Amino acid sequence: MYQPNIPIPAADPMPLPGPIWLLKTLLLIVFFLHVIFMNCTLAGGLTAVFNAVRGRSTRHPLSRKLSADLARVLPVFVAFTVTLGVASLLFLQVLYGNLFYTSSILIGVYWFSVILLVIIGYYGYYYFNAHSGDKATTASIVTLSLAVLCFLTIGFIFTNNMTLMWSPEKWLAMYRARPSGAHLNLSDQSVIPRYLHTIVGAFGVFTAALAHYGTVRFKKDPEYGGWLVRRSTIVFAGTTVLQFLIGMWFLMSMPKNVALIFFRDGVGVAIFAVALLAVLAATILLLIGGTAKEPSPLIHAGFGMVLITVALMIVMRDMVRTAYLNPYFQMSRLQVSPQIGIIVVFLLTFGGGLATLVWMLRKVANGKTRQAAASAK
Amino acid sequence: MNFPVWQLGFPGGLLIAIVAVTHVFISHFAVGGGAFLVLSERRAYLRNDEALLSYVRRHSKFFALLTLVYGAISGVGIWFTIGLVAPEATFSLIRTFMWAWAIEWVFFFVEITAAIIYYSQWDRLDRSTHMAIGWIYFVAAWMSLFVINGIITYQLTPGRWLITHNVWDGLFNPTYWPSLFLRTSMSILLAGVFGMLTAMRERDEVRDRINRWAGQWMIIGALFLPGFAWWYYSRFPDFSRALLNGTLPAAQHPIRMGMLSAALILLIGLTCAIWKPRAMRSPIVAVLVFLAFSLMASGEYLREFVRKPWVINGYIYSNGLRVTDLPQYQQAGFTHEPKFISTDDLSSAEYGHDLFVSQCGSCHTVDGYRAMRKRVVGWDPTFAKEMLAHIHLLRGTMPQFAGNEQDRVALGKYLSSLNPAVNFAGVSDRTVAGKQSFDARCGHCHTINGNLRPLKAAFEGGGPDQVQALLPALDSMSPNMPPFTGTPEEAQLLAEYIASMSNAQAATAKGGK
Repeated sequence: MYQPNIPIPAADPMPLPGPIWLLKTLLLIVFFLHVIFMNCTLAGGLTAVFNAVRGRSTRHPLSRKLSADLARVLPVFVAFTVTLGVASLLFLQVLYGNLFYTSSILIGVYWFSVILLVIIGYYGYYYFNAHSGDKATTASIVTLSLAVLCFLTIGFIFTNNMTLMWSPEKWLAMYRARPSGAHLNLSDQSVIPRYLHTIVGAFGVFTAALAHYGTVRFKKDPEYGGWLVRRSTIVFAGTTVLQFLIGMWFLMSMPKNVALIFFRDGVGVAIFAVALLAVLAATILLLIGGTAKEPSPLIHAGFGMVLITVALMIVMRDMVRTAYLNPYFQMSRLQVSPQIGIIVVFLLTFGGGLATLVWMLRKVANGKTRQAAASAK
Repeated sequence: MNFPVWQLGFPGGLLIAIVAVTHVFISHFAVGGGAFLVLSERRAYLRNDEALLSYVRRHSKFFALLTLVYGAISGVGIWFTIGLVAPEATFSLIRTFMWAWAIEWVFFFVEITAAIIYYSQWDRLDRSTHMAIGWIYFVAAWMSLFVINGIITYQLTPGRWLITHNVWDGLFNPTYWPSLFLRTSMSILLAGVFGMLTAMRERDEVRDRINRWAGQWMIIGALFLPGFAWWYYSRFPDFSRALLNGTLPAAQHPIRMGMLSAALILLIGLTCAIWKPRAMRSPIVAVLVFLAFSLMASGEYLREFVRKPWVINGYIYSNGLRVTDLPQYQQAGFTHEPKFISTDDLSSAEYGHDLFVSQCGSCHTVDGYRAMRKRVVGWDPTFAKEMLAHIHLLRGTMPQFAGNEQDRVALGKYLSSLNPAVNFAGVSDRTVAGKQSFDARCGHCHTINGNLRPLKAAFEGGGPDQVQALLPALDSMSPNMPPFTGTPEEAQLLAEYIASMSNAQAATAKGGK
């Protein structure tokens, strides 16, 4: 009789095409940027729904304005979420392909549906883009709500895949139960708190960004800008309290050896402590900044602190993955053979691409100024 | 072959085809359409043509909604799908070409940003800046094609990469340039087709002008296609050319469909777009869109088709088997390392089903696409086991079986269980029974008088006795032949059939002369 051990597909025999530190760094950087845009896509969408509904009443013109503002940028958020997500997936696949493909196949039906959900959600945001503000209708708000639901579902599917990829001990039983890929990873008790942590975190990042936007708008539209700052900072404080509770749940839901890296391991403790301090500082800065009569630089500092928190959380997330995978997979054992020539071409292309982006965005910014100048005349 | 298999009930290749064909249709439009937009904008400024300009603005919105959403997301969709359906090959491509993909990603990012700015900032940017953004879009989109084209063509003609494992050898492989030019032509053609599609909403006189202009794009693209296609074909490996030239008759349908579509596009373009643009009504445009899709789909289908049995020629087979792993599988068995299989009993038909799923399932189903049930009628477990040792010789489109004798026994058991045992002696018509036996035992590798290893020459002028005498010794005549495992009655029927058909066809041929 064949004795099945835990089947874990071997890593591809082709060596890693670049040093691990470089691939890991690129993964963390693009994932950080992806998370920021993803947070704006998700929480921005939900905020747009809330304000579009509220803005239907003439008593809430500012809500209507906010929903219209969001309608303009939501498709752009999706575009950058996807584009940066693609880059994250590229580096994830090259490093963890044997684990990632396996978990994707095991949840194949849901994983494939991500593509359909993105297309529906993306078109939904474009529909709202064309029917918002004064042109908002029940249909456009319902469409927007469905689009947000699509994106919320995608997040849930991603949470399931990312947690399943580090649980090889479950794979064979899942495959034998249903090889059609109609699984989720709900037997993992960390999935729900992890997902909630992501969603509530998205609100934290988005409201901090919105407060930052409010200070910019304040210069030309004090009423709207002030309202944005006040509301956003209060919601931010609320999400922080909620996030604290969910974060505790999340930590407790992890296996002991994983959670303990943030209490015993020197680097883990330090990063966790700095992240907690950063979020505390962000809350204080945003709350004080939000109560000031005029927009204060404290808001910018608070937003900066939030970004630092997200960056640290992403490093912590990577440490969690490494800890989960430790019994099965050590990245340091992978063979490396850097493709120096094409790395140089990539860096040159990247530099050129970045310069082109900056040039285009500056032209757009200047274009706005020119139009304003023309209308002032 | 270590990954679990996503068992959808149909070959995942079909899912890849659906996602990929719709994606390439839009993504090629996204390349050529970029040039069409900015050159149309320039034309409108030069001619002071306000109507054309307002058309370009509307077209840019349509372009953005189609390419940014469906085009971009379905591109990501290909990644998702190939990762699910062909994880070994995808992983290998990612490891080999990660930096190429990273470079492509930079162009993709610039392309997306430029497209958003181009369609949304008509009123905020001056003309030259707006057109510059359009050019940036086009260059980035074409460069994206420039990079991805290397990865796609590498799969068919990895060339020197197989020896050097050098990423540049893989990218700039023998079919790289013809494919790049072919795809660029296709993108120009599609720019014209979609240009006419959105022109439908314009008033007659404006629409005529746009149809003439867009029609030129379509015709130029179509005119270049045959030459580049021939150049591409001339660089194909020998086995691919053989597949197209008749080894697999199914290839003829997309070849005919593609050629017919291109010819009709050219014909409609010359008559309805250039000569009588007023005739370019909605139904004609719909036909054009359909023909362009059919042309694109035929090309993509053939590109996939001529690679069989490889996913990366000479390196990884369609079912994920790496050539270098084959000896170990054949020596130590499929389960020499832990596998995603449904049973622990390696002598069972259930394990045979696992082997079927992992080794055959990428191209075959039981009853649907390339159905196996009808292909194994009349196979008994022993015959099936022996056939599995030779499957790569059937028509040259299958990889070797990756397993040892125990694995072949299990898969043989499973394949033979798909049909009830056939009692050839019980069939009333002896010729029908003989043909059934021939189809089951010989027809996979031989014809009587066709192209595939014909038997006529060997048996012409002989009788059934001559054939029957050979049947017990088939496997000793050639190491590539399975033994005859039927009853003496079946042997007699089979021998009579082969002898009579060899002589009958010979007689017909002589009579014909």
